[in-house]
Amino acid sequence: MIFCSLRDIVFGYENEPVIRNVSADIHAGEFIAVSGPNGAAKTTLLKLMLGLLKPWSGTVRFSAELGRSRVAYVPQQASSFNAGFPSKVIELVRSGCYPELGLFRRFRREQHELVEEALKAVGLWELRNRKIGELSGGQKQKACIARAIVQQPDLLVLDEPVTGMDAASRTRFYEWMRQQVKEEGRTVIMVTHGLDEAQDYLDRVIYLEGKEESDVSI
Amino acid sequence: MFQYEFMQRAFLAAGLISLIAPVLGVYLVLRRQSLMSDTLSHVSMAGVALGSVLHLSPVLCGFLFAILGGIVIEQLRRTYRSYSEVPVAIIMTSGLALAMVLMSLKTSLNKSFNSYLFGSIVAVSETQLIVIAAVTVIGLLFFVLLRRPLYSLTFEEDTAAVSGVRVKLLSFAFAVVTGMIVAAAMPIVGVLLVSSMIVLPSAFALRFAGGFASASVLAVATGMIGVFSGLTASYYTNTPPGGIIALILLAILLVGIGVKRVVKRTAKRRIAKAGMPVRQQTHQTLKEGASK
Repeated sequence: MIFCSLRDIVFGYENEPVIRNVSADIHAGEFIAVSGPNGAAKTTLLKLMLGLLKPWSGTVRFSAELGRSRVAYVPQQASSFNAGFPSKVIELVRSGCYPELGLFRRFRREQHELVEEALKAVGLWELRNRKIGELSGGQKQKACIARAIVQQPDLLVLDEPVTGMDAASRTRFYEWMRQQVKEEGRTVIMVTHGLDEAQDYLDRVIYLEGKEESDVSI
Repeated sequence: MFQYEFMQRAFLAAGLISLIAPVLGVYLVLRRQSLMSDTLSHVSMAGVALGSVLHLSPVLCGFLFAILGGIVIEQLRRTYRSYSEVPVAIIMTSGLALAMVLMSLKTSLNKSFNSYLFGSIVAVSETQLIVIAAVTVIGLLFFVLLRRPLYSLTFEEDTAAVSGVRVKLLSFAFAVVTGMIVAAAMPIVGVLLVSSMIVLPSAFALRFAGGFASASVLAVATGMIGVFSGLTASYYTNTPPGGIIALILLAILLVGIGVKRVVKRTAKRRIAKAGMPVRQQTHQTLKEGASK
């Protein structure tokens, strides 16, 4: 099943397009990397896919089954957000449940369990009562990823998620994402420069070579 | 002092405003829009002047101008995404310029403007009290009912948008509520110091609170202490309440920062006196933990 389909996308920030006639299909249950040199518009492509930017021309279509309700996004350098943000780690991760809970519904046991599970998976359970600003860059990144997982998304979009993580954490992260795809049936798209270390876990790579796109199956 | 009706009104109005202004401050500081309240108060002053020149209700005009200013700032913020302080500068200059020109058209206004600029205990009329009460209810409903989407919005706008928060609508609603609260707080603290009641309590709370919700509660408590003690001091010293309230809130902030520093330094000294530098001790503790 095609989750998301991009067709003949053209987009630019000023007068010159940075993406020209790019088309791609995202299939359900895939672990996909978007890669390419600096300035190849990888983040822009993700934002177009998520509807955060509007293409000059071309279309972005989501499967009716998916809709937009179950999409989670961790932006580039999420770890660099306001160091003074007064939340505890657990408070931030719990906020991942807000889309499902809406304005008024209370947290149930399964949501508390989800939060605990996600925090344990990223190794932050012991630090759950620390303030976000007290964490290192890599730890903040992990907290943001845990928050996204708590949303139980069908589609998880991650922009350079392993930035700031040590080698062991990166490996654990790729394994965890692979598990999310295989066992939980999620679709994961991530922008990465580390294709070498990630390729064993990926299904496909979308390689942007500056304005153009090539699809590489692994 | 409570035998006077104007003092009862002033305390009631100040109490109501200090329930919501510091909460607004927490969001404004975290969204890096601390100067927005200052800007909107200047815009509101232009509205007051226009109302007087056109023989309309100055209070109502000031109120509408503050709301309109909030909406325009939000729109400009979207245009100047990379320079978030530019809209604030544009609107503040425009508001002040308009107020100056309008005031020059009606020189008799200059005296009464003192109470708008610096705040006045007797400035809170019955009508204003009703307006303040209505704004407090709207503000409380806004911040309590929408606390979850507001939290997501404040944390990161793109993530919030993807997870289903209607970012644009909520941001504009936030701008409207900001304008309303600023306009409502003006009679008490005055145009020039309105941001003291909004930003200073939250600046204190954000340094000391352990979580997001507790930051809002601590900000409200700080705001209330500052406002009530400021009004009392203003009554006995016959000085404008805006200045006294701002000075008390500033003193609370400075004392708080000082105490925190002393506590931190003392804790560090205690660890050092125990025999080892902090880093070594942490390292050793980790090793002990691993060997266990």
